[in-house]
Amino acid sequence: MRDSLRIYWATFTASLQAKLEYKLDFVLGLLTSSMLQLAALGFLWVIFHQTSNLEGWSQVQVLFLFGLTAMSLGISELFFNHIWMVPYYIVMGDLDRLLVYPVPSLPFLLISRPELHSFGNLLTGLVLAAVSLLALHMPWWDWALVPLWVLSGGVIYMSALVVFCSLSFKFVGPYSYTLMIPHTLLQASRYPLGIYPGWVHYGLLVLLPYGAFNYLPAGWVFGKMVSPGCVLAAPLVAVFSAALAQAAWDWGLKQYQSTGS
Amino acid sequence: MRPLARPLSFRESLLGYLTYLNRALKANFAYKASTFLGLFTSGLAYGTSVLIWSHVYGQKGVSIAMSRRAMFAYLALAFCLNYALSINIDQRVGQRIRLGLIATDLLKPLDFQLSQAMQALSDCLFNSFVGLTILAWVFYFLGGQILPKSPEALGLFIISLFLAFLVQYSIVFLFVQGAFYTYSGYGIFASRLALHQTFSGFSAPLTLYPPVLLSVGRWLPFQHVIYTPISIYLGNVEGAAALRLLGEQALWGLGLYGLGYFTMRKALGQLEIQGG
Repeated sequence: MRDSLRIYWATFTASLQAKLEYKLDFVLGLLTSSMLQLAALGFLWVIFHQTSNLEGWSQVQVLFLFGLTAMSLGISELFFNHIWMVPYYIVMGDLDRLLVYPVPSLPFLLISRPELHSFGNLLTGLVLAAVSLLALHMPWWDWALVPLWVLSGGVIYMSALVVFCSLSFKFVGPYSYTLMIPHTLLQASRYPLGIYPGWVHYGLLVLLPYGAFNYLPAGWVFGKMVSPGCVLAAPLVAVFSAALAQAAWDWGLKQYQSTGS
Repeated sequence: MRPLARPLSFRESLLGYLTYLNRALKANFAYKASTFLGLFTSGLAYGTSVLIWSHVYGQKGVSIAMSRRAMFAYLALAFCLNYALSINIDQRVGQRIRLGLIATDLLKPLDFQLSQAMQALSDCLFNSFVGLTILAWVFYFLGGQILPKSPEALGLFIISLFLAFLVQYSIVFLFVQGAFYTYSGYGIFASRLALHQTFSGFSAPLTLYPPVLLSVGRWLPFQHVIYTPISIYLGNVEGAAALRLLGEQALWGLGLYGLGYFTMRKALGQLEIQGG
């Protein structure tokens, strides 16, 4: 276990250093991931130009949802982003190389390709969450709980990607379109889930439980929900999601046939 | 130094460009699963906007300068137009530049920018077919609301659609030049996408934008990809005003196409491709 962790850390830092050699890419990644967040905020601005609230949530409160989601996305892009390459590796037979390493394949794969634009999402998310908490004069314990929700969010989002990615072992193709489904739904979860019809609302709480790391904690912070379960839902769901992701990955590997060349 | 091959005649060039169009069209038909999943994902993003607007319209005391049906008609048209004008050259050209395969493209006796435009056109023709199918389905729900206001509006819309393609292609081609300078294609793709999502009018008509956002959008070309053609189609802009918009579209399209041409010449000057 200890040896594996050492290998993961060495792989992660080596990959990150290699990426940081491309300084222009780093700057562009920071700028453009922030631009994508700002684009989403632009739409939010248009919506709040027409209405003063979304199901009782003010614009500043929705900013907190945006912030938690952006930071969770950033965590996933920093530590688990390699999953996006798997459909391509399956087609090319490149997954063989991964399977001969003396460590569990899924964590090793996930950690070995950090993306520089993750820092843009982390930074933008942090600013948005901070603006929201400052503007609403939230107590210190709300600030202290944010890292727990964000780390859990990164794991929950990663798990959703792994589960969808496992389908690529069965339905082989060089594109990551299947992964775009959980990614697109993550964007939808930045708004208060109560504005959606019931099947979307509960779908984003149970099937793809993004609501566990943004909607429920934010609802608790702003006094819209009182159950302590809202605080603890994120880490509990993260553990369950990670186990499910590992099971889906193991199932996928059983379908893998390499390329024969 | 003598050229490797004699220059092509006009007819030969035309046949060459049409071959690009034909091949790219066949490739689109070949990857049906990817097309379906891409459409499904676009539909999810669009569905989110529709559900958010639906909630806003359902709230008490909200007064929006556009009826609910008109908004949904606009959003349906915006989705179909956005899908029809989806161009895949970001990935295609970006990867060829990074791998050095662009060297073989440049050896061909055809203009690179124009040959890529033909491939982009084939993407749009294929996507338009899908977009029209969706529109026919939406017609079932919204009826005449999604039809053009008049035959004149339809005629002007068709011209505007071609100009929208020119603007969209020229923007994409200009951004993809960034692949000559960066290792990862993400920055190029994401920056264009962010500007497109904010200022094209994909998620809402520009008339509903806050004044600051609207005034920025008016100075950028992205509005001419979605908002301008739909405004003409729905008859929100008519007569001289519509002609003026077509002129603006043409100026943006030609200007950006020319800028792409010069940017690529400059980028090629510093391109290094490994041998072996």
